[in-house]
Amino acid sequence: MTTDDRREPPVSLDAALERLPRSIEPGRDLWPAIEAQLEPRSVRPVRRWLWPAAAAVLLVVASSLITASLLRREPAPVARQAPAAPELRYATASFGPDQRLGPAYDAARQELAQSLAQRIDRLPPPARRQLERNLAELRRASAEINAALALKPGDPLLEELLLNAYQDELAVLASVQQLTAGNGSGTTIDATRMQL
Amino acid sequence: MTRCSRAAFFHRARLGWPVLAWLAAAPAALAGTPIEERAPADPAGQVEVSNTAGSVVITAWPRNEVEVTGTLGEGTERLEFSSSGKLTRVKVVLPRQSSRVAGTDLVLKVPAGSAVAVNTVSANVTATGVRGSQRLQSVSGYIHTEAAAEDVECKTVSGNVKVKGSGQPGMLTVTTVSGDADLSRVAGEVNGNTVSGSFVVASGDTSRSRLRSTSGDLGLRGRLTPDARVDLESISGNVRLDLEGPVGAEFDVSSFNGNIRNCFGPPPVRTSEYAPGRELRFREGAGTGRVRLKTLNGDISVCNK
Repeated sequence: MTTDDRREPPVSLDAALERLPRSIEPGRDLWPAIEAQLEPRSVRPVRRWLWPAAAAVLLVVASSLITASLLRREPAPVARQAPAAPELRYATASFGPDQRLGPAYDAARQELAQSLAQRIDRLPPPARRQLERNLAELRRASAEINAALALKPGDPLLEELLLNAYQDELAVLASVQQLTAGNGSGTTIDATRMQL
Repeated sequence: MTRCSRAAFFHRARLGWPVLAWLAAAPAALAGTPIEERAPADPAGQVEVSNTAGSVVITAWPRNEVEVTGTLGEGTERLEFSSSGKLTRVKVVLPRQSSRVAGTDLVLKVPAGSAVAVNTVSANVTATGVRGSQRLQSVSGYIHTEAAAEDVECKTVSGNVKVKGSGQPGMLTVTTVSGDADLSRVAGEVNGNTVSGSFVVASGDTSRSRLRSTSGDLGLRGRLTPDARVDLESISGNVRLDLEGPVGAEFDVSSFNGNIRNCFGPPPVRTSEYAPGRELRFREGAGTGRVRLKTLNGDISVCNK
């Protein structure tokens, strides 16, 4: 508004307003276009909940399959060279329904798991079974927290527990590598030849 | 016994006679070879021990030398024993090709101020009176040791860990996969991590304690120092904190799906009308310490005497 506008008497403004039409008919029917815009929005909440639920189910199923396969595996005889352990493969680590932990984390995890698969046969069979059961337990715990996060996204307690669960898994993998590598004496320990 | 199997039995027996005769003639060859090694050692040197199966027993003594006795297991290639400068190495060497090797029992006496590092697979490890730092690792053997003021680190897969402290503050780190840990009279900083093992910690004055488990139960009993930081966390294991003496700390306790029981402070509250979670936050006394207890499914108990 300029200074000149403010000087105009209010009467002329009222008269101008009076001359305006009370309503304006639209040139075309806008509703179909508006409805088309509204349609996807009504579907979105369903989709938003579908992905986390699907991811949670996938994680639980994957975890259960891994657990079942690990528990079914027979121990190798102590005095014979144990057969090569099947490569430990992990589902991509997720952090709740919408987040992935990224390729760098997955690569580090796979690398540790592959290295462990090469060394795991050097462990005494009871220790190996314990280790496999506990790795399955760690994965089951991560899957359970992920499923809870799908129901309660952004929960700080769940996020903290999940982060620590992933860290613990890496720590266990790294720890077992260290335990099977000897104490820096250069040679690795093969326990399958020992009378344990 | 059928005719066929009887014939096979006698055939095997005929083949077995020479073996039995050799066994009778050479009993010494079957018995474990005695070990007797000794070398001067630095009073604050490092002693490294590696033994796959059998046992390792280390005792501190007031002499500046390392002595190794015990029995070398049948089938073992040799015992490597070397001492140079501050480092003494004891290593049981296995042959490259052998179907069966018996465990070796090592008994070491080391200067009390030595730092010791032990690595085994199934051999049990026992250390007594060592005042230097300790790094003890075993896959399935147990580890029993005493902690003084120096750092102690124990690591196993399925072996249990027992540490008896002296009440002097130090740093103790215990990591197991499924092994249980029983830590008594420890003081200073305690770090524990397990998947399914149960950890029981009885401390004197606790300044820093951080225990974590996936499904194992965690228990800590002790006095909080004014600046204490206690952090116990489990996914599906139960967490229990029993405090002694005056308590001055802020408490942050929460469980997503478990119960919270506390003998002091306000009652826990539900985090949501529709979710099962509970939490408890309060300040006790001066409130200079920090206590965090967290679980997903496990129950939490916090009490003072």
